[in-house]
Amino acid sequence: MEEYAREPCPYRIVDDCGGAFTMGAIGGGVFQSIKGFRNAPAGWRHRALGSLTAVKMRAPITGGNFAIWGGLFSTFDCGMVYLRKKEDPWNSIASGAVTGGVLAARSGWAAMAGSAVIGGVLLALIEGVGILITRMSAEQFKPISPTEMEDPSQLPPKPQQSPPFGGQPAYQ
Amino acid sequence: MDRSQTPPSSPFNFYGAQDPSMNVPLTSSGSSFSPYLNIDPSYLNQGGSEFIFPTEKRTRGRFELAFSQIGSSVAAGAIYGGVNGLRLGLSETAELAWSKPKYVQLLNLTLKRGAATANTLGVIALFYSAFGVLYSSSLFFDVDDERSTLLAGTSTGLLFKSTAGLKGMARGGGVGFGLAALWCVWQNRDRVKSSLGVNQTL
Repeated sequence: MEEYAREPCPYRIVDDCGGAFTMGAIGGGVFQSIKGFRNAPAGWRHRALGSLTAVKMRAPITGGNFAIWGGLFSTFDCGMVYLRKKEDPWNSIASGAVTGGVLAARSGWAAMAGSAVIGGVLLALIEGVGILITRMSAEQFKPISPTEMEDPSQLPPKPQQSPPFGGQPAYQ
Repeated sequence: MDRSQTPPSSPFNFYGAQDPSMNVPLTSSGSSFSPYLNIDPSYLNQGGSEFIFPTEKRTRGRFELAFSQIGSSVAAGAIYGGVNGLRLGLSETAELAWSKPKYVQLLNLTLKRGAATANTLGVIALFYSAFGVLYSSSLFFDVDDERSTLLAGTSTGLLFKSTAGLKGMARGGGVGFGLAALWCVWQNRDRVKSSLGVNQTL
C-alpha cells in the first residue's frame, strides 16, 4: 500500500468527496446490516434478507450524504484558502459552519443557524483534537532548554587568561 | 600549457584539470586535493547522473487513486442525474406558470435524481476500487495490470447485480467485463493502433 498524501487544493475536493463517500457507504453498510438484522422478523433467513435489503437501500444514501458534506466542506475550505491566502484551523471551522448552514438551507433560517453551529463545533472539536495530539507527540522532541545547562562541576573551571596572539582564534 | 592536451574530465566540468593562464594545477594529480578547496573535488562530480529525485517513472497505485475515482464518479453522477431531473421536471411542469410549486417541484426532482444517480455511480466506483486494490495486492496478482482491471470490472458487475438473480448477475458481469475491456483497449491504444496499422498496410 502506497503512502497516502493529500492532493493540492482544487483536486482535493474530488478526493475528499470520494473519501467521504467511502467512509459513509462502508460505515452505513455496517450500521444498516446490524439494524436490518435486528428489525427483521425472527428466523435466520428473514434476518439475513432484512439485513441485505437494509444495506442495499440505505448504505448508498448514507454514502451520498457523507459525500455531499465532504465535497461541500472541501470546496469551502479551498475557497477560504484562496481568499485568505493561508491554511489554518479557522478555515476548517468556518467551512464546517458554512457547510452545515448551506445544507440546511431548505429548512429555514433557524435550522440553518442550528446546523451551522453544529458543523462549526464539530470541526472545532476535530481540529482541537488534532492540535492536541500534535502538541503531545511534539513534547518528547522538546530540546532541553539552554538555561538549564550549567557549568559542569566535574570539569576544571574555564581558563581566565586570554589566549596568545591577541585573542584571534586560529582555525587552521 | 595547451588546453587541448588536458581535456575536461567530464561533460559537466568545464574547466580542465589545469588552468592554462595561471599555470597552477587546480587538481593536484598526486593527492587529488585542490589547493583552493578543503575537500577532494573528485567527490563533487563523478560523471554520473546529477538528479536528487529518482527519475524512474512512478505511477500511482490503485489505493492512491481510489478516492479520486470514487469522488469523480459521485460528482459525475450528481451532475448527470441533476441535469436529467431538471429536464424531466421542466417537461412535467410545462403547463405550470413560474410559481412556488413549480420551483419546489424542479428543485426536488433535480436534487433527488442527482442524489440517486450519484449514489449508484459512487457505489459502483467503490466496488470497482475495492476489487482493484484487492486483485492488484499481494493476495492475488501482486502487479497492477490488465488482469486485475478486467477481473475487477467483472466482479463489480456481478456484485452490483447480485440480488437480481443469476441472469441479472450474468448481465452485470458481462457489462462490467465489457467496460473494463474497453478501458484496457483505450489505455493501450498506441499498441492497438500500431498493430492495426500494420495489418492495414499488409
